[in-house]
Amino acid sequence: MGRSEAATVTHSTMQRAVLLTGGLLVSLNVSMVLLLHAALRRRADAQAEVVAVNRSLERRLAEHTAALEAANHELESFSYSVSHDLRAPLRSIDGFSQILLDEHADQLNAEGQRVLGAVVRNVKRMGAIIDDLLAFSRVGRRELEHRTVDMGRLARSVADELRAAEPARDVEFDIGSLHSVSGDMNLLRQVWVNLLSNAMEFTRPVEQPRIEVRCEKGEGGCRYTVRDNGVGFDPAYADKLFQPFQRLHAGTQFEGTGIGLAIVARIVQRHGGQVWADGALEAGATFGFSIPEARNG
Amino acid sequence: MMHPDPVEILLVDDDPDDIELTLRALQRHDLANRVRVVRDGVEALAYLLPDDPDLAQAGGLPKLVLLDLKLPRVDGLEVLCRLKAAATTRSVPIVVLTSSREERDMIRSYDLGVNSYIVKPVDFEQFMRAVGDLGLYWLFLNQVPR
Repeated sequence: MGRSEAATVTHSTMQRAVLLTGGLLVSLNVSMVLLLHAALRRRADAQAEVVAVNRSLERRLAEHTAALEAANHELESFSYSVSHDLRAPLRSIDGFSQILLDEHADQLNAEGQRVLGAVVRNVKRMGAIIDDLLAFSRVGRRELEHRTVDMGRLARSVADELRAAEPARDVEFDIGSLHSVSGDMNLLRQVWVNLLSNAMEFTRPVEQPRIEVRCEKGEGGCRYTVRDNGVGFDPAYADKLFQPFQRLHAGTQFEGTGIGLAIVARIVQRHGGQVWADGALEAGATFGFSIPEARNG
Repeated sequence: MMHPDPVEILLVDDDPDDIELTLRALQRHDLANRVRVVRDGVEALAYLLPDDPDLAQAGGLPKLVLLDLKLPRVDGLEVLCRLKAAATTRSVPIVVLTSSREERDMIRSYDLGVNSYIVKPVDFEQFMRAVGDLGLYWLFLNQVPR
């Protein structure tokens, strides 16, 4: 084999190799382009799918929002009706019964007057329930106005007011140092009013009523407790205490409609906290609530 | 003429029981002599803002309008709005006397320039006292330009 022959062979081998490589490269390129195309297409499909899903999500969100708004609206007109339409006839019943008692008492015997007295008493009770129901629904609807609230000052001013409202009673309040929290001043005031007036009410039969308010700061925020030495309650029903209109005592024994603690629970929950109750029959009760630390300072 | 003396109180209410109780409360305080009752917003506006201005002079403007909010045809807020917008009736004291404790009614009424807003107490004794107090205040203590 001559040199040129060898060179030719080498040449053609190289040519073939180049061609082969080129072909390979081309086909590699083509397949890459195809792959890329497929990938792009998949991406476009995926994008279209995302858009479609987003759209359906948006639509569903809009539907849910509309449904919520409608429900809210319904709730509002419901409480409006309760406020207006239920109170009006109640006032008429009370008014005409009262007129009967005032102006026609001589035509009623003692039993007749007693029965009419029961009508009037129940009308007043229903009026109180309607007002409390409305207060309860307002607590849920109101926007919270957050600011720093001096809980010690708030609790003491509420205690002073409650004492002033019943000057004949001698109730000992022991209010420790209470941490301030971030929350809605008016609503937190309502929490103290309800808890402290509850304690006042249920210590009524006790000889030396004593109400103790304490606070401890833990990881979850501040925990406040109101402990009284009143009639207490059966701990088996502790959960029921915070339900609206649940009462553990007979209707005539203590005042109130049974909404106070439900309002407390709702206000505390709206602040992100929790409520609890400890007690035993004839051995006093402790009501507690926590308010978490404000997340942004 | 049906009302030889000028009407002092115009009571706008559609519920006959409520009207009776309000009149009784006014009576108890000797305020019921010159009360005129109209039963909806249209009648109230016809009485206070008649198309023919001569008619308005005949009875004179009342010293007080007691206005319920929930009324047939034209409601209380609309009546309030029209009366406070008209030059002749702007200074007539209007007291909303309603069963509604709803804040939006209260806010809207004050926006429209109501002179006072009273939620009728369910308790009849309290209701009597409220009507008596507001009658005495607006008829005898309050002064308006004439």
